Amino acid sequence: MHTPPAFLALGERLRQRGLIDAALAVAEAGAARFPMLAEAHDLVGRVRADQGDEEGARRAWLAALECHASHAGALKGLAFLAFRRRDHAEAERRLEAAVQAAPRDPALLRALDRIRGARPRPADAPPSIDDPASGVLLASGDGLRLGGYLDARGDEAAAEAAAAMAAGVAREAERTARLLDLGAWRHVLLEGNAGRTAILPMPGGVLLFSRGTSTPAGRLLTAAERAREAARAWLGESP
Amino acid sequence: MSLAAWDERLAQVTALAGVRGAVVVSADDGLAVYESAVDGLESSDVAALAAAVVQRAAELGRALGHATLGLCTLAAERGTILAAPGRDGMWFVVLADPGAELGRLRLLVGDLAPEFS
Repeated sequence: MHTPPAFLALGERLRQRGLIDAALAVAEAGAARFPMLAEAHDLVGRVRADQGDEEGARRAWLAALECHASHAGALKGLAFLAFRRRDHAEAERRLEAAVQAAPRDPALLRALDRIRGARPRPADAPPSIDDPASGVLLASGDGLRLGGYLDARGDEAAAEAAAAMAAGVAREAERTARLLDLGAWRHVLLEGNAGRTAILPMPGGVLLFSRGTSTPAGRLLTAAERAREAARAWLGESP
Repeated sequence: MSLAAWDERLAQVTALAGVRGAVVVSADDGLAVYESAVDGLESSDVAALAAAVVQRAAELGRALGHATLGLCTLAAERGTILAAPGRDGMWFVVLADPGAELGRLRLLVGDLAPEFS
């Protein structure tokens, strides 16, 4: 079995004893020695957060995600930073991703419950299309991406591919509803091991709204309707 | 699974209020492999059209990182189609009216689909 490098335990002990400068020196030396080790960057992130250096912590946790895209500690750290700046939507989304990575971690589940309880009423917090953490993607009817992402890392290539495929789903949904005399289609809901995605028609295009599996289907659809309203406004304002 | 067992599974779903019919579809070619009558519609039409939606949705699902898909739902003004994967490329497809108990139907479709192969 793989043994974690000793500096991780040493750095964490120093941090817990309040020896922050020493902990940072150990953590940064370890991250330099093992640049592909997510736990090393996660430790740097925790120490930086203890120092009140939120930007430094954010950089470290993003570096951890570069090494391991679903690192629960880094996702939890980024959720903490989002919560601090009152960005409840990002905090919830990061924690949902963390819970997906570590579904039996009671601390993460409690944190997710807390953030959901602290979140402003949905109507007060429409999703931001430009924010990669919002999980909203807009595509034109012919499959061109209009804006948004489905990945908190802002992966452009993945967003372009998803936009192209979502337009195909929309075309088949429209055709099926028309030929079976079901009236206008309202949504397609896709549920799998990686989460839930709602695809909704919009004038001239389609909206994708994604969340983790911890978001119930009914809640996801309600939030997707709100996102569509925000998207209409965003399209009206976009160049 | 025997034909009688398939009949029994389909009957569990079509007995629910608001369910218009159920079909087991081969997603690759959109053919109905087994069906109960779909009220007012040709089962073969439902099968072919649902398979087309499912294929596109599965393609999108793979792009979104789903190793496995659980349920695909198409909701429209006058009805809802639910589809869940069985084994060997089969999908269990159910057509329901707007007033159907969707929560219960989702559970039942998800539970029964893996038994079709």
